[in-house]
Amino acid sequence: MSEQIISAKGLTKRYGGKTAVENLTLNVEKGRVLGMLGANGAGKSTFFRMIVGLVQPDDGHLEVLGKEPGWRTNAEIAYLPDRARWYGDYTTKQSIEWGARFLPGFDSEEAARLRDIMRLPMDLKAGEMSKGQEARLMLILCMARRVPLVILDEPFSGIDGSSREHIMDVLIDALSEKQQTLLISTHEIYEAEGLFDRVVFLDQGRVALSGDAESLRGQYGSIDALSRKLYREGEK
Amino acid sequence: MDERKVGSLRLTLDFSQPLYEQILAQMRSLIARGAIDVGEKIPSVREMAHELKINPNTVMHAYQELERDGLTEKRRGQGTFVTESVTQIRHFKERLAFDYSDQFLDKMHSLGFRWTEIQSFLTTTREKKGER
Repeated sequence: MSEQIISAKGLTKRYGGKTAVENLTLNVEKGRVLGMLGANGAGKSTFFRMIVGLVQPDDGHLEVLGKEPGWRTNAEIAYLPDRARWYGDYTTKQSIEWGARFLPGFDSEEAARLRDIMRLPMDLKAGEMSKGQEARLMLILCMARRVPLVILDEPFSGIDGSSREHIMDVLIDALSEKQQTLLISTHEIYEAEGLFDRVVFLDQGRVALSGDAESLRGQYGSIDALSRKLYREGEK
Repeated sequence: MDERKVGSLRLTLDFSQPLYEQILAQMRSLIARGAIDVGEKIPSVREMAHELKINPNTVMHAYQELERDGLTEKRRGQGTFVTESVTQIRHFKERLAFDYSDQFLDKMHSLGFRWTEIQSFLTTTREKKGER
């Protein structure tokens, strides 16, 4: 059996009377791409925050890279939070220098390569960037790290079509060149359709459906179509 | 359905079907009918993944199957090449042709047709499609 990167058993998290994640069990093996899918508030971000130790589960067990989540495991995780913002007075260049100094496993050459792909001006300040440019800057800081696990919460949101293609190229390289494990949440599935090895559909904190992307395709058609179907049913 | 170019090859991907099977089937056909030449290098896993915008694991899986078919060979540090052996490709093609014929005959038999009738269906269909 391959190395387990994430091993979650019966994870549950409640906020007051509201259940954010309920009895979530899943394993992710090394080198795989897990798509966490579902509407806003389905529990995707809560699950990611548990992996990086920002949220403590009320119940259940979670192992990340074979250990309990904490600062030690976080050094080996590149995490892009949902709706992340960056320091407004940092230029692209200064941000990359900051990354080289403070982020474990940061590879400056890789950052330069990614900056070329993402076409981000070196001397532009984050505060003067468009939403998409800022998102790309933060993605560069994540993807330039040589760490085994990458977690991207909504990496495509607010990003235009051609930049999405660049992001896809960077993610494909992360798999073929660096053997990283990726967890990605998105509700814009169409772009990333071909990337997932496994998908988990969350609905109000519960797993509505999960499985191997190729088998689900054989059974129900595209992941994109399946998601729209599940989502419509959920609205009824 | 999306048609995408990978080097000089054209592949079609339909995201409502398993991707692995589509890549495998199309690469098999391209090699069997000589669209990729004997001994020719095929696109790397990375290149294929980038052009098709899919997971490299999926491409690798299909490539491993091509190797098991005897259609390709990996050369260390150089990439993957179509086998130099014309015989091997011919054998594979024949095996596939027998499979297709077998499936076709099974289907026709299940409808209760006899050989002479099947033959006349084949002749008519061929005329309709125009000779190829």
